Amino acid sequence: MMWMSTNIFYSRGVSLNMSWIREGELNLIEKLSANILKAGPMPKHVAFIMDGNRRYARKRQMERQEGHTQGFDKLAETLRWCLNLSIHEVTVYAFSIENFNRSKDEVDGLMELAKQKFIRLLEEQENLEKHGVCIRVLGDLTLLPLDLQQHIARAVVATRTHNKCFLNVCFAYTSRHEIANAVREMAWGVEQGLIKSSDVSEALLSQCLYSSNSPNPDLLIRTSGEVRLSDFLLWQTSHSCLVFQSVLWPEYSFWNLCDAILQYQLNHRPLQKARDQHREGQALQQHEADRACVADLLQHHGNGKPLDAQRRQEALLNYTASREERVQDFLGVLQHKRDSFLTDLTSQAALA
Amino acid sequence: MAVVYEFVWQVLHVLLHIHRTLITWFRTRLRNWNGQLWSRALTALLVPIALSFPNPKNLVPAPGKRVGRRYRCGTDGKSLEKLPDHIALLIAEEEPRYTDIANLVVWCMAVGISYVSVYDNYGVFRRNNSRLMDEILKQQQELLDLEGSKQLSVEFLNNGTVKQDQQVLSCQSVLKVLSPDDGKLRIVQAAQQLCRAVEQREKTSKDINVTVLDSLLRESKSTPDPDLVLKFGPVESTLGFLPWHIRLTEFISLPSHVDVSYEDLFSALQRYASCEQRLGK
Repeated sequence: MMWMSTNIFYSRGVSLNMSWIREGELNLIEKLSANILKAGPMPKHVAFIMDGNRRYARKRQMERQEGHTQGFDKLAETLRWCLNLSIHEVTVYAFSIENFNRSKDEVDGLMELAKQKFIRLLEEQENLEKHGVCIRVLGDLTLLPLDLQQHIARAVVATRTHNKCFLNVCFAYTSRHEIANAVREMAWGVEQGLIKSSDVSEALLSQCLYSSNSPNPDLLIRTSGEVRLSDFLLWQTSHSCLVFQSVLWPEYSFWNLCDAILQYQLNHRPLQKARDQHREGQALQQHEADRACVADLLQHHGNGKPLDAQRRQEALLNYTASREERVQDFLGVLQHKRDSFLTDLTSQAALA
Repeated sequence: MAVVYEFVWQVLHVLLHIHRTLITWFRTRLRNWNGQLWSRALTALLVPIALSFPNPKNLVPAPGKRVGRRYRCGTDGKSLEKLPDHIALLIAEEEPRYTDIANLVVWCMAVGISYVSVYDNYGVFRRNNSRLMDEILKQQQELLDLEGSKQLSVEFLNNGTVKQDQQVLSCQSVLKVLSPDDGKLRIVQAAQQLCRAVEQREKTSKDINVTVLDSLLRESKSTPDPDLVLKFGPVESTLGFLPWHIRLTEFISLPSHVDVSYEDLFSALQRYASCEQRLGK
């Protein structure tokens, strides 16, 4: 996976003086190509598996850590390209829970660099505000060292209200943990009496994932030639365009990105069709589930007489409305729980 | 200016579509042409030999596309460095051809893959289950006729019911027919089951973790997660295929399942054999 650098680039005129987003404009040919691509459908949310840093380091005969450093430079550059292409949401796979299996030295090194990067981010708060960058970190933060948790919390809380572009960093993350966590949260909701087990649905599960504030990625890109998902956004990418590219991440170019977007455009219509079909199926299932619940309720609370169609329809509408209200309230409580966890970390950090 | 860009974009996409169509056309032409060439060449060579020997039956090649195709599935399987335990055939095309799917299934089993799954995102195979099974049995028979000694036993696993095949056991494979309902919907059903248990105070929310969920989503303890997905068709997506189970699955794309050959399958398996899984390390 990728990591960090302290390069700052200045351009002619006012600079976007941030280490996380590299300064620069597209050259003429790049601008032309970008404009041509933008005439077609563009992904609004792109996810990256930034693979190949260590192989790049071996290839160039440099230290492994340097490979991670250059990987982070490349991330900064790619974010710049995404903004130029009007892609306003990017999710990256920074550190998997499986990566804890690496040597202690490498893991400690990555944790230390992460910490420095988040500290650096906070120093650039003005710029973040100016460009409306919202940073979110997805994963089980409790697995990380406490000081890193605190720095992450501060960065996330500081940029919470920004809404021009979104960077989601998956840290201490695997998709299975995310899904299991969502199920656990729903079970917690049931325990607290906020929702019923019959309220559990695909839509509700999606809302309980770490990524609940983002739409599903339109495009998932994996570099370095590996053709697997490695436990990344498995739920969210079920109808996304998957592009596997053989280039190593630190060597990624603007043209690689354009190629991926072209693939997205070629797949756009069939994927849209598949997505719509899936959504219709989901709506039907929800409707059937509501019907079954209403039938159950009427049986238990009715006086044995069968209700006419109109009363049944009324009962169904009422049930659906109350279920939706219940679910919204639960989601509000869940969001508050997550926000409080982060705010508590920041106040701990302030006291320390 | 925007109009110009749009025009260029349209031209670009038309060119890409033409490019794709040409490639498909070339591939099918090449294969047909090759096949004809082979059969003509072999016939030309063998007819004189056939005429001079009293028993020409085994020497004259059978007509059609079977000519020139290797049928040493078993030895091929052993020659690979690693073979997937569970292979999934993902058909991302509009019109499935049952004969071709059946061929693929039979070849996979003959090569020695223990678990074979078939998936399409409309649930067509699920609905036409019996038709698929009939085709597979038919293709299996044809394969046996050509290979001679090898006997295959196939266990058809569908919705938990197991139908045992009559033939003699020398190698056994399991076939699963999957649809989108086996994906997210199964996960939601497992979640509902766990939440009901919590509602009835049989479990607490803290008991829920990856292992618990995984054991609910595993059809049987012995069924492994898919190691390899062969995707047929131009659509670059998993189209809802088993999201939970594909965390470490390799994806290899093939252009189409229509008239797919054994060589296509085998080269995909060779590609799989050469990949390296680091598992996060």
